[in-house]
Amino acid sequence: MKLRPPALIRRLLSIVKWRAQDEEMDQEMAFHLDAITREYVRGGMSEADAAIAARKRFGNVVRHKEAGHDVRTAYLDQFASDVRSGLRQLANARTFAFVAIVTLALGIGVNTGVFTVVKSVLLDALPYADADRLVRIHGGAAASTQGRGPLSAGTVEEIAARQQSFSSLAAFVDVSIEAVYGREDGPQIITSAWVEPGFFDTLGVAPLLGRAFRSEDAVNAMVALSGGAVGADTGSPVMLSHGAWARLFGTDAAVIGREVRINGIPRTVIGILPPTFIAPMGDVDFYLAFDRGPVVANPVAVRRSQWLGLVGRLEPGVTQDTARREVERIWADLVREYPADNGTLRASAIPLRDAMVGDTRRPLLVLMASAVLVLIITCANLAATILSRALSRRKEFALRAALGAGRARVVRQLLTESVVLACAGGVAGVLTAIIVLDVLRDLAARALPVHADLSLDSGALLASAVIALGTGLLFGVAPGVVVARGDAQRTLRDESRGSTEGLQSRRTRGMLVAGQMALCVSLLVGAGLLTRSLWAMAGASIGFEPDSVLTGAIQLPARDYSDPESRFQFRDQFEQRLRALPGVQSVATATSVPTMVRQRSGVTLEGTPASEAQPFVISTAVSDDYFRTLRIPLREGRTFDARDRVDAPPTLVVSEAMARRFWPGGDAVGSRLRLGPDTNSPLIEVVGVVGDVRNDRARQDAEPMAYRSTRQIPAPIVTLLMRTQSDPLALTRSVERELAAIDRGLPLQQVASLQGVLDDGLADRRLPVVLMTAFGGLALLLSSMGVYSLFASMTAAREREFGVRMALGSRPRAIAGLVLRQGAGWMAAGLLLGAVGIIVVARLVRELVYGVSAFDPLTIGTAVAILMTCAAAALLVPLFRATRIDAVVALRSE
Amino acid sequence: MAVRKFDLIQGTLDLLVLKSLNTGPNHGYGIAMRIHQLSDDELRIEEGSLYPALYRMEEQGLIESEWRVTDNNRKAKFYRLTRKGRAAADAELDSWLRLSKAVTRVLRGLEQGA
Repeated sequence: MKLRPPALIRRLLSIVKWRAQDEEMDQEMAFHLDAITREYVRGGMSEADAAIAARKRFGNVVRHKEAGHDVRTAYLDQFASDVRSGLRQLANARTFAFVAIVTLALGIGVNTGVFTVVKSVLLDALPYADADRLVRIHGGAAASTQGRGPLSAGTVEEIAARQQSFSSLAAFVDVSIEAVYGREDGPQIITSAWVEPGFFDTLGVAPLLGRAFRSEDAVNAMVALSGGAVGADTGSPVMLSHGAWARLFGTDAAVIGREVRINGIPRTVIGILPPTFIAPMGDVDFYLAFDRGPVVANPVAVRRSQWLGLVGRLEPGVTQDTARREVERIWADLVREYPADNGTLRASAIPLRDAMVGDTRRPLLVLMASAVLVLIITCANLAATILSRALSRRKEFALRAALGAGRARVVRQLLTESVVLACAGGVAGVLTAIIVLDVLRDLAARALPVHADLSLDSGALLASAVIALGTGLLFGVAPGVVVARGDAQRTLRDESRGSTEGLQSRRTRGMLVAGQMALCVSLLVGAGLLTRSLWAMAGASIGFEPDSVLTGAIQLPARDYSDPESRFQFRDQFEQRLRALPGVQSVATATSVPTMVRQRSGVTLEGTPASEAQPFVISTAVSDDYFRTLRIPLREGRTFDARDRVDAPPTLVVSEAMARRFWPGGDAVGSRLRLGPDTNSPLIEVVGVVGDVRNDRARQDAEPMAYRSTRQIPAPIVTLLMRTQSDPLALTRSVERELAAIDRGLPLQQVASLQGVLDDGLADRRLPVVLMTAFGGLALLLSSMGVYSLFASMTAAREREFGVRMALGSRPRAIAGLVLRQGAGWMAAGLLLGAVGIIVVARLVRELVYGVSAFDPLTIGTAVAILMTCAAAALLVPLFRATRIDAVVALRSE
Repeated sequence: MAVRKFDLIQGTLDLLVLKSLNTGPNHGYGIAMRIHQLSDDELRIEEGSLYPALYRMEEQGLIESEWRVTDNNRKAKFYRLTRKGRAAADAELDSWLRLSKAVTRVLRGLEQGA
């Protein structure tokens, strides 16, 4: 059967065109009959006689048509019979078919899943016009490990004035802020974000409906900077994301021009963004525009408040590299010109894609590498399985060849079988891929960049399928070619007389198994290292007790809580009401949940000249009971209490790390300093030292932290921390009731247990661990299958020999030793190769490893032990079978 | 293949069809007529059996077909030799001539010897 692809396609099409073909035959034959009839009529016959004579001359129309169909579909019958024979062969070797199909399904499915994730994050285009021309400019503290911080308005102003690389630049606040959207059926929590009017133009995104921001839409930036506490937030226009438009307004086009209330202030909707748009700061419902001018004009905030993100579009012809160097040059000048403000900071430009991919690149590359390893193991396993089956059928093929079957005939039969197998495996693989992606979507949503779109990628599916199926076909057909070419007579003689498997075939199979074990042990070590890192991170003391603590957030709208006194009153009342609830041990509020503190403030010790650059510490404001509620120990002095009134001298509690850093002599309590950008602000006195809290859990040391009292700094964001006697979430309803009793318009947001918040914080760390462990498990399963099939075929091939040995008085133990010796060599080779793999893996994951050496002997030992245990289990069955061979049966079977 | 006056040797029909198409495209009826005419009505095939043969040769890529309008303004399916078909026709003709010559020689020899 010759099946050139075009012919195949033409033939497949002809099945579809069956009816058309049928009609064509009818027409063609009718024309012929008609022509003969007319010939006879011209000769003088009557119409009726002529028609009868024509039919006689033409022959039976139905029979000729059937013959015609048979000719057209002969290849179909052949194909069907090949497929039937393929299925029959597989049904006869059910274990083999099962192993091969499962291997294919896992290989294709898992790889497609991971390739899809990697592609969506690293390769797919960002949802902006000419996204490669976009640049992100980051700031940050020079000493911090978190390299991607915000910039001050002054820096943005200077960069915008001095640069020549960008056709446009736009600043934005790089977080989405929860806000309250007031509507008829009660308040709803939405997310909002502040951007400069030129933001969407710079990104190259045009609104779907309405218009984009113009400069007259902008609000005084002091409002955005202070979270609504400073400056007049007049009813400015807003733009809506497509998601919010659909969710809140049911994609009603009449929403343009309508008034909406956000945080109690009425605003007008002016535009809707397209559905594909995703902002660099993530999912946002409403966008508000700000004008940075007032902040630039403010001598305190201009350079000492780092709060802006910045994107730029490159001028035509300017490269990313040129822009990066220019930003570095400008920044060097700015450090020189404003050493007190910028001396401890840094700024740098990177392509926007890199900024959005962020820290996920390395874990994704590790995953990618693991997935490729699994794919290689899959292919090796498949090859070994198919090869051993083909080899065990060598005698059959040799017999066929001896009886005159051509090489093409043998290869064709093998090919058909492989194709049937590949199709079954392919279908199973697609199903697996869909399941894998479903799992990944749940697992990875939090840990991946905002632009990642996790829908099944046909290219990834195709690539995995081609590789896996190609391996199947190659190893399915190769033995047939070899056999058909080889000396049939010798094979026949060898395979029937010589009672053991050929040396070469055993070596091929052994090498495949050794390779698999090497890859498997590498993956297991990688998974083990990441798991231990995660344990170390999650298990290491973070400085407080997160169990049985309920957290939630309340945003106090600037309209209703404009003065500090009203904000303090709210806190005080709220805390008192909650304390009265049954099952509540203690209640505290703060500006943010521990470990999630984003704010850093510059420190100027009393007596230090203002011109000196400020070192930065993490700073937050907490209520009196914060330390008691979280069980952060007091080391020295006192924590906050009623003495710290808003009009009393400002006070500060510092962490041990901060005390050590600034007062190595131990005289922290009683010292005074200034916190924040304003060098003329009142001095703050340190009144206490508390235990360290690790704010960044990927760091082993605790960063210096400074706490102010919420009595003195009553921020409009109230984060609740409530220690309960039992399950904290069980009290959610009670808390909401108490909140409504104070102010019916305030929703309780982000309700979670503190432990839950901490777990979520590790989500991006957990993803590679879970996936790599899954890959390790998969590799283990596949390798075990490989070891099993190696030993199974080894013992099967020597069955007769063992029978002879038993008949001659050999004991089962000796037989077992024989088999083990033969297999152990390959397993040892696998582990030796694995050592190389471990070195490679350790290098790859070194950056992700925390609290454990990259060559951790415990991890490596465990990985080897697990692999050896599974391999031992896999070889026990065939080994057991070998020792149970009935000598008489084995010998008679010849 | 059913024949009125002579039984057609297996495979000869294909050769006849191919050769009759050598002069240009034709439909099934036209092919049958040509074979009758050229053989002076000695060869009469059951005309319907032309069609399975035509389809087979089309599958083999020896001929190709298209619908056209005849001189009488009627629609008919015309068959045309492909390059491969032309080569096959020449090769077949060659081997046929050798075979028939050889057979003729043998039969003549037997006649004379008798």
